[in-house]
Amino acid sequence: MATKELRTINYEERAKDADYKRKLNKVMTEKEAVETFLHDGDSFCIGGFVMWRQPESVFREMARQAKKNLSIIDESGTFEGIDLLVELGMLDRIDIAYAITRQVGGISGTPAVERGLKEGLPRPVEAGGVMATPKDKVKSDVTPLKIVDWTNFQVSLRFVAGAFNVPFMPCRSSFGTDIPRYNNDIREISDPYENKPLILIPACKPDVAFISVQRADQRGNGQIWGFKGTDYWKGRAAKHVVLLTEELVPTEKIYENAGLTVIPAYCTDAVVHLPFNGHPTGCFGCYTVDSINFIALLLERQSRDGALEWLDEWVYGCKNHFEYCDKVGWEKLDRLAKSEHKLSRIPG
Amino acid sequence: MGHLYTTREKYAPEQLEEVKKKYTPPELVCCAGSREVIDREVVFVGIGVSDLAGAVAKLVHTPNVILVAEAGYIGFPSIAVLISPADNSAGVMAMCHQSLPEMFIDQQSGFVDVAYLGFAQMDKYGNVNVSYITGQQVKMNGSGGGGDTASSAGRVVYTVEFNPRQWVEKVDYITEPGFLDGSRDARKKANLVGGGPSAVATNRGVFRFSPETHELYLAEVFPWQDEEDIEEVRKSFPWDLKVAEGLKIMEPPTERELWALRLMDSTSNYILASVLDRPIGKIILAGRLNLEGYDEYLGMQEKAIREILESVS
Repeated sequence: MATKELRTINYEERAKDADYKRKLNKVMTEKEAVETFLHDGDSFCIGGFVMWRQPESVFREMARQAKKNLSIIDESGTFEGIDLLVELGMLDRIDIAYAITRQVGGISGTPAVERGLKEGLPRPVEAGGVMATPKDKVKSDVTPLKIVDWTNFQVSLRFVAGAFNVPFMPCRSSFGTDIPRYNNDIREISDPYENKPLILIPACKPDVAFISVQRADQRGNGQIWGFKGTDYWKGRAAKHVVLLTEELVPTEKIYENAGLTVIPAYCTDAVVHLPFNGHPTGCFGCYTVDSINFIALLLERQSRDGALEWLDEWVYGCKNHFEYCDKVGWEKLDRLAKSEHKLSRIPG
Repeated sequence: MGHLYTTREKYAPEQLEEVKKKYTPPELVCCAGSREVIDREVVFVGIGVSDLAGAVAKLVHTPNVILVAEAGYIGFPSIAVLISPADNSAGVMAMCHQSLPEMFIDQQSGFVDVAYLGFAQMDKYGNVNVSYITGQQVKMNGSGGGGDTASSAGRVVYTVEFNPRQWVEKVDYITEPGFLDGSRDARKKANLVGGGPSAVATNRGVFRFSPETHELYLAEVFPWQDEEDIEEVRKSFPWDLKVAEGLKIMEPPTERELWALRLMDSTSNYILASVLDRPIGKIILAGRLNLEGYDEYLGMQEKAIREILESVS
């Protein structure tokens, strides 16, 4: 993987792709965006951070489109979304710092990953070079899902390096630990200036970044209110950027609070107007986390059968995100919005 | 520091068992942990118990600390426990909304004085594993920002419920650096920025690290922990755990600390171990996934937040 992701920008290729970035109106549906930009074998990342402003709807759309051989690079993932793709065997590789397992109060936060590790189903797992599905449970023709460990800072630096268009970023995290020992993409060198140890984190330029924003215009200026996560860098490192916005506003509205614009139009390839795209995660200033839905779906997905039933109902049973919202119930979504608005509301 | 000490003599021996029963393990952990910071310090909080300790510090002991959460929130008043570092309760009334890499850059620059973290396994020199238990083939959550924080925060206070299995001669996987091999200047030689772990706050005492040998020792206990109890604690360790000569006796959780804790964790996420025993689990098990169930659950959170907001503003 390293060679693929470490490539420097091919300007010819970027010029071709720039057709999307130069459009004045980039609005399309989620289905079109996933079809257009995410192909089998692609790598992608998502915006937001643990349970907040994470475009969960995009995972359901990927599942509906049955993409193959994907890889995701993420700090502290949207466990629910990643686990869904793992359940369907759609992921080849996960580069991640944190994925909740047993800390959701005695139930598994990533049941498909756990099943894969123990039983080889839906797919065998090779985790961090430390443990793997027992050999007798692995069929010879199946490539295991590979999980690679990083720290949060290191994953974010991969996008920083990608955005800088340099092959790596240095840092001083995790000297003396097993993370660089097992993760061969991390290098330790003696720095040429002070002759002291330094950790190098390779750049990442994912094929697509799906970033949820509170507000965007049709040209693709994305505004974020609250924590920024690593979205500034993801929006610049990725080859294609798809914004999923709670609110589609006229550019006039963007001018009013230009300081909130994290992703300027020249980064953006597509704008999808999709309220509640983060559900069951929350969106600062828009709606709070739907913990009831989150725990209920985890409970249902603890077993393989339960997970497949859940998929039939909530993924394949809905044509698109709006049908999903119908199914959740708009009055409940409004209740989540009301709860959030008691605390915070995007200014302007 | 918010340290509160007492003596065993203040309690009649027959009283002690009763006093002990008044508190749950997470309450003891959070309250003991909350006393580890100095006012005006910059405090990095984790999630759950590692946030609650910082929250109690902020609300009760050291009101001028600046709390930071890794998603990019700085200087929030702490109005509800963080289940995620990106929670809205950290964004509301925060001094600064920034990004995740910026948060860690600030930490690597030395702005963070103290950080709260948790762990699954720890060795004699404070090296921590939160990644893999190889014997049972269990994959745990992984580093998250823990590896970065243990590398670069000024000092780290670990807050965990005491469990004999968590102390090991050698951790299965070093996720977070402690004092590495324990040798003199090991962290400095490795070029780590931060000072390493300073305390481990548990419900069975607070442990610290010897400045010379960097070895973990028992430094403080609760009043009900007698010789026998301390011996039992010592036996949980695979090495000969040292006990401080001037072993200090901690004040049990105060009313004010418990008040803060209960409001912070209004839906008992960290007081009740199983999700099914919590209010949310009961709503789900009763099949109340309707608007009424949502009203009840969100209403509980909103009510607690209103009370905290009134008291901090």
